[in-house]
Amino acid sequence: MKQPLSLHINDEIHELNLAPNKTLLEVLREELDLTGTKEVCLLGSCGACTVLVDNRPMLSCATLAVACKDKKITTIEGVKDGNDLHPLQQSFVEKGAVQCGYCTPGMILSGKALLDENPNPTKAEAAEAIAGNLCRCTGYAQIIDAIVSAPEIADSKSTKTQHETLAGTLDSGPYLMPETGE
Amino acid sequence: MILYDFEYERPGSLKEATALLNESGDGARLLAGGTDLMPNMRVEVVTPSLLVSLSGIEPAAPEKRADGSIKIDALTKLSDLVDDELIKSELPMLAEAAHTVAGNQVRVMGTLGGNLCQETRCLYYNQKHDYQFVEPCYKRGGDCCFPFPGNDHNTCWSVYMSDIAPVLIALDATLEILGPDGTREIPMADLFTGDGLNPFTLGAAEIVQAVIVPPLPERFGWGYHKTTVRGGLDFGTAIIVIALQLAEDGETCSWAKIIYGAVGQGPLRPTTTEISMKSAVLDPPLIAVAASQEISPLPHHGFNKGYLRENIRVYTERSLVRAIARARDKS
Repeated sequence: MKQPLSLHINDEIHELNLAPNKTLLEVLREELDLTGTKEVCLLGSCGACTVLVDNRPMLSCATLAVACKDKKITTIEGVKDGNDLHPLQQSFVEKGAVQCGYCTPGMILSGKALLDENPNPTKAEAAEAIAGNLCRCTGYAQIIDAIVSAPEIADSKSTKTQHETLAGTLDSGPYLMPETGE
Repeated sequence: MILYDFEYERPGSLKEATALLNESGDGARLLAGGTDLMPNMRVEVVTPSLLVSLSGIEPAAPEKRADGSIKIDALTKLSDLVDDELIKSELPMLAEAAHTVAGNQVRVMGTLGGNLCQETRCLYYNQKHDYQFVEPCYKRGGDCCFPFPGNDHNTCWSVYMSDIAPVLIALDATLEILGPDGTREIPMADLFTGDGLNPFTLGAAEIVQAVIVPPLPERFGWGYHKTTVRGGLDFGTAIIVIALQLAEDGETCSWAKIIYGAVGQGPLRPTTTEISMKSAVLDPPLIAVAASQEISPLPHHGFNKGYLRENIRVYTERSLVRAIARARDKS
């Protein structure tokens, strides 16, 4: 039986009418089109569906949407600050911590939950924080590196300029055509 | 759609929850953290028609009572158990066990009571029925245990995987259970029937409300080891828990408890070995051999009996050495 429910997601209130068997993951992806949260194992093993509920990482595939009443949910779409990437996202870009990208939203949210509590984590603490997130591409070294060096990026406040430089090279950089030799 | 259709109730107190469970009989299940129940419902291992969610009830913080015992609300999240200052200083063994449970997300969601009352697991039983290419197994209403077809047909050989239950047995904890007729208290070890089909002695409308851990004696030592295939997040291959008290001379053992988790349908204890450790100067290698030979580990998830026995022998010895060292530190 459907029941009305309001969910507080990324600082927005969504009024929904939901059956109790909808998981938070289904609601995010299918009702609200927030497809940044990934669906992988649906068994609570892989961590790809991680979202922050009241700033703590939780598995949205094992959470019923109706149980999230009165709670504040943050998905990967709500991490960025305006048009700028969050320092942790910037750090993921710079350290090459993304390969296929399927685990990345979960990794960033787990990492963000750690950084919010502990602004200068060690490598061991970072590894501990992402223990519930599986990645089959990178071998975790770059991801841990990215989490550990996120505070530097936040400090150096050059985040914005670095971001613009990166965008600049992609948009207007000199595209060199291969010489044919003729 | 991930889950089938069911009814959902969110009572405001545990009393209302037991009343709901009592009214609706077998088709109802309690939902606390959901990290065990939701995946099981997804593969349709359990298919309750009514979920009684405890998400509307706030757990009380762990408190030290006048007699020195510590009362922990069963709805305490595992991550709060790991971070709680009182638990960390008074019951480090419990904090360490809670810390070994799965990954961060599962600890944030999962509760203490849910961890104790988790469904037993088996490589065959925990599959979606489409992947079980023969009939349903005994625990699913069939009449054969497919992983052990040669065994007694009326036994389910699924394994109880809780990391925390063996520790609470070692700490002599008591469970406070709320039922329709009021509360009752049972020793932790009495929660288990030793049968994979119905692993718990709880009635259908009963809820584990709190765990009470008595004060630890002087010169108390403990050892905890959980063997896993993957370090970070995994169910245990074998869990070894040792608690002991040394006599005043710092050599003789007054009493000792050895509890093994994840190698049986409930926690296992080598009781003869425990008796032989009383008032004796401990020889860890010898005790490890005796204890590992005394119990009969249940093969599970591809680990055979010989491997589990050897694993238990090695880590019993190491945990025992650690327990003795910790007990001496305190004297």
